[in-house]
Amino acid sequence: MKNLITLLKPRILSVKNTKDSLGKFCFLTFFGLLLWAGIFAISLKVLSYFKSIEQLGDMLAFKLLSMILITLFSLMLFSSIITALSKLFLSRDLSLLSSMPVSSYKIYFTRWIESTIDSAWMVIIYTLPVFISYGIIFKTGPMFYISSCLSIIFLTSIASSISAILVLLAVNAIPANRLKNIFIFLGISLFMVLFIALRILRPERLVDPEVFATTLVYIKSLRTPASPFLPSTWTFDCMQLFLTGSNIEGLFHLALSFSCAGSLVFLSLLLADAIYFKGLSKADTANLRFIRYKEFNSRLFGFLDRPIRAIVIKEIKTFFRDQTQWSQIFLLGALILIYIYNFSVLPLDKAPIKTVYLQNILSFLNIGLASFVLTAISARFAYPSVSIEREAFWLIKSSPVSKKAFLWIKFTIYFIPLLILTEVLIISTNILLNVSTFMMVLSIVTILFIVPGVVSMGIGLGAAYPDFKAENPVQTVTSFGGFLFMVLCAVFIGAVIILESGPVYNIFMADFYNRPLTTYDWLWTTGSFLVAMIISILAIILPMRFGIKRLSNILT
Amino acid sequence: MIELKNLSRKYGDFTAVENLNLFVPRGEIFGFIGPNGAGKTTTIKMMGGIISPTSGSIHICDINMEEKPEKAKMKIGFIPDRPYLYEKLTGMEFLKFINDLYSVDGNSFYKNAEEKLAMFSLSDWAGELIESYSHGMKQRLIFAAALLHNPELIIVDEPLVGLDPEGIKMVKDLFINLAKQGVSIFMSTHTLKIAEDVCHRVGIINKGNLIAVGTIDELKQKTNTEKADLEEAFLTITR
Repeated sequence: MKNLITLLKPRILSVKNTKDSLGKFCFLTFFGLLLWAGIFAISLKVLSYFKSIEQLGDMLAFKLLSMILITLFSLMLFSSIITALSKLFLSRDLSLLSSMPVSSYKIYFTRWIESTIDSAWMVIIYTLPVFISYGIIFKTGPMFYISSCLSIIFLTSIASSISAILVLLAVNAIPANRLKNIFIFLGISLFMVLFIALRILRPERLVDPEVFATTLVYIKSLRTPASPFLPSTWTFDCMQLFLTGSNIEGLFHLALSFSCAGSLVFLSLLLADAIYFKGLSKADTANLRFIRYKEFNSRLFGFLDRPIRAIVIKEIKTFFRDQTQWSQIFLLGALILIYIYNFSVLPLDKAPIKTVYLQNILSFLNIGLASFVLTAISARFAYPSVSIEREAFWLIKSSPVSKKAFLWIKFTIYFIPLLILTEVLIISTNILLNVSTFMMVLSIVTILFIVPGVVSMGIGLGAAYPDFKAENPVQTVTSFGGFLFMVLCAVFIGAVIILESGPVYNIFMADFYNRPLTTYDWLWTTGSFLVAMIISILAIILPMRFGIKRLSNILT
Repeated sequence: MIELKNLSRKYGDFTAVENLNLFVPRGEIFGFIGPNGAGKTTTIKMMGGIISPTSGSIHICDINMEEKPEKAKMKIGFIPDRPYLYEKLTGMEFLKFINDLYSVDGNSFYKNAEEKLAMFSLSDWAGELIESYSHGMKQRLIFAAALLHNPELIIVDEPLVGLDPEGIKMVKDLFINLAKQGVSIFMSTHTLKIAEDVCHRVGIINKGNLIAVGTIDELKQKTNTEKADLEEAFLTITR
């Protein structure tokens, strides 16, 4: 036990010794609380609405709870696979710990605790308001809250243990010099699970009772329980029973979760005692080449100055040779497919609003949605692109390439593929929505202005708040700078959409009713689009300037 | 003190260390030299219990590393070439962490730690975060940590990287004094002058094979370079 506490101490002390400024702390706390309160308010509103529907209300609320728990479990499962892999096998302090007189299963166990907390804390904090809302709406006693907390802890522990066991086995099965390739396996697995989870949930059916032959079938579908072998089902049963006052029965399901969690932790410890060190030992190898890379045709960039060409080629080579990036690309592909799929199944013809009107409203909102997808992708790829230089950044600092050129190269490298991606996204969904030519052109042009702004904020703020010592530079997006990036992107996209919404509505309605635009309409339209354009240009210039200035002042 | 028997380590098809047999007695300073990629660090990592050998055995003070790794590691002070340190811990906190891991008496910790910090001229930096240390200071801290539990054997990979001349002299003197007290030192180095100055015996590894072992004079004799230095002998052997 003493050893376990000692092994956890560096992490605890590191957190204690990290002193963030008060401003940063307030900023993060404010937005964290805002988001929490937002989820709480929406949950209360939705559940109150459900509760007001006689007979069906409770069923809908419970179906929603079941869906939330399945999603929560899937998220925790895969978030913990990635965290467990890096905590158990890729952390830089493992060599130090391995040379210490401590049993490998103890190192494993402390790493497992860290991994569990790291992968689950945010998910748990932001699902808490939903569970609290259930407690309030169903007017339960304190037992519901206590049992919910316990069952979520057990669910987290189950997800984390399953992930750790999978990782332990995978690392021992796959040659260690190909360790990183596991990420590819994880990426594909995640894609499959997301897809399967989506199909299991079939959320679109629940809002469309017409697809069911009778009301009875619809109600039966709402009542269909999830698989009894899923840990999330035990958590759901436990919560549902406590919500409806069947506390004793609820305790049984709580005990079921507890026994599974306990057994899995014990099993993983036994497994770790047997194979963790072997896996660690295998991981300690030079990364032999998995694929023989072809010589890169550098003549493609022959028109660039030599130092700039060198950076461009290095960027492209390192990006594609880093196999951890590949899984992210798989994941990205999965998300885009799901995004487009969602548009293909929209039941527009059954909506009470006129289809043409609805199609164009959706198309306009889609600009915002696609921009948020762009922000998420930029957060993953563009924002950490400076931190990813890690300790090798001294090479850039000592090279005859200015910080300005360096950052603009980074910008160009990420801007081109992201622009293509977002335009493909917006055009394909617009085709599925069958929108008017005006909306199509507007979407394409707006995206053309939004993409460089978002990429610039990613590169600029990533350069302003780099972390060259981060164990995993990709995770730098969870830092203050990353958060600032996301908030500013939301403000920027929101501003452009709001500025365009008024004139677009006017133009669309004029076209719809076949009437000409007034002078006032023209002025308003020109003014709004001009301001949106100026904001977009500023969003390109200012973050890059800020990044260049801050990066020049940072000593690594 | 250290006994390596038929020690081999493979990475896929590549053999990093092949059939290594070696004995280092108590109180000996053994220098392990070889060209880049010869298998020095792999051998050291196996001896430190960081990686397991593909075949063969390692005995530290008669304790089999594979059978009783924790007990064997208690005898070792391990100093890697590129040490990882927790940047957000202070020097003193790091030493306390190491002290607890080796289960060294907690009552005498502060006295012991202050003594070691003073030995490596780090007393003034004990309360500072490690992230503010220079490379050489980090290296000194690693030395202080490795000596905290009074090991019977010190395994050190490239001991002098990042140290200033004063630090180099300090480490050389330290090794000589420790050896006099019966501590064995196994060090890999590229600095042949240091090996020549402090090592009782030297082993030369090349392409995973131990190709020569002996005192400096024996190696010179073997290569007919008596009048030259270790560098000449080394180059003759490894060519």
